[in-house]
Amino acid sequence: MNTIRINELKIKGKRLTLATFGIAAFILVFWYLFFSEKDNHLNFVVDHQIDVTPEQIQSIKAIGEWEFLSVSCEELVDTIRKGLFSDDHLVRIYFGTMRLGINLHQVKPGWMHVDGDSIEVTLPPVGLLDRDFIDEARTKAFYESGKWTAKDREALYQKAYRQMLSHGLTQQNMENARLNAKTQFRRMMQAMGYNYVSIRFEE
Amino acid sequence: MKSIFSIACLVLIFCGMSCSGNNQEQQPRPLYQSIDTVPMLIMQIQQCAKLHTAEYHIHKIITHDDVIQFKGNLLHQNIDIKLPLGQRKVAIPMDATLKAYIDFSTFSKENIERQNELITILLPDPKVELTSSKINQKEIRTFVGLTRAGFSDEELSQYEQQGREAILKSIPNMGIIEMARENAARTLIPMLEQMGFKESNITIAFRKDKTIQRLTN
Repeated sequence: MNTIRINELKIKGKRLTLATFGIAAFILVFWYLFFSEKDNHLNFVVDHQIDVTPEQIQSIKAIGEWEFLSVSCEELVDTIRKGLFSDDHLVRIYFGTMRLGINLHQVKPGWMHVDGDSIEVTLPPVGLLDRDFIDEARTKAFYESGKWTAKDREALYQKAYRQMLSHGLTQQNMENARLNAKTQFRRMMQAMGYNYVSIRFEE
Repeated sequence: MKSIFSIACLVLIFCGMSCSGNNQEQQPRPLYQSIDTVPMLIMQIQQCAKLHTAEYHIHKIITHDDVIQFKGNLLHQNIDIKLPLGQRKVAIPMDATLKAYIDFSTFSKENIERQNELITILLPDPKVELTSSKINQKEIRTFVGLTRAGFSDEELSQYEQQGREAILKSIPNMGIIEMARENAARTLIPMLEQMGFKESNITIAFRKDKTIQRLTN
């Protein structure tokens, strides 16, 4: 009986020694692969570059927009979805530039009247040159928790659009654009050789 | 302890459901409420004198193939293994508007040459700017592998910014500068005709480096 137990113990001892040697060998190989050889390295890699795709020109238009004031806006817009245990947030920063000026395609016949060294210029009303002024592709994602859909992002865009309009398209900015239009046109006409320049806007 | 907590949670959920059920009878409520809490604005106002003469509408589909790779070097052997079920794909359609303009902010007597009835206007070379861009949010398509999380707002924004940069880089190949020059002449000549100059006596020229490119006549 005792002889059998002694044999079992010997076998167990051998197994333990083998296991110890195995672990030691594994550690040695691991150490050799990752620390002694500097060239050895293994990483998980994810490529964040977009693919090369073509840019399609959808339309080309000849325009005559004279910009006299640019209002660049950054709007931090956020939305919250109330939940039972926690709220979801989506915060984005939108960028846009509103361009105020005149559209030369709206001038009426005889908008310039020359008399000797005097010139009278009647400009079309100053307004927002382009209703699309948000550069959405520049948008910065500031914070996101929870799942948000395309509809939510579109709603945020519309919110940013309304905020930019209300903050940037003010009477004061329109007046500044008008004043600058007058200054720039007067300077240009004087450079052309007209001594007396009169500039007014259509009603 | 855990079972007591889970029972309490269940009771709370049922209470919540029953409460919302009562409210629905009285007044229909939306599934969730959106609230604006951080209205903030940074504004920069700049006086300028830019004559925009050409407008291009560009469409681009930004695509990104996102694969997790196990890459490295082991015993001087290159290892590059694509992990199964770890692929993500996204396609983002976007539209952008490019406008070419001539900067008149430094326009002065030096830009005009007059010889009796002849007039030459010397203009600086046109510049191009991206005036707006729109992401077609509803048309964005994503495909996400089983072992991956969906695209975050930050990731999508990064790809959109890269797409914008790609459009800006492709400007020299679009011919927008040439068109802007031609349109500038078409805009300015009628103006000069209104001032009493004959079309045959008007020259619009552009300064490009040391050479002058004449466009009209």
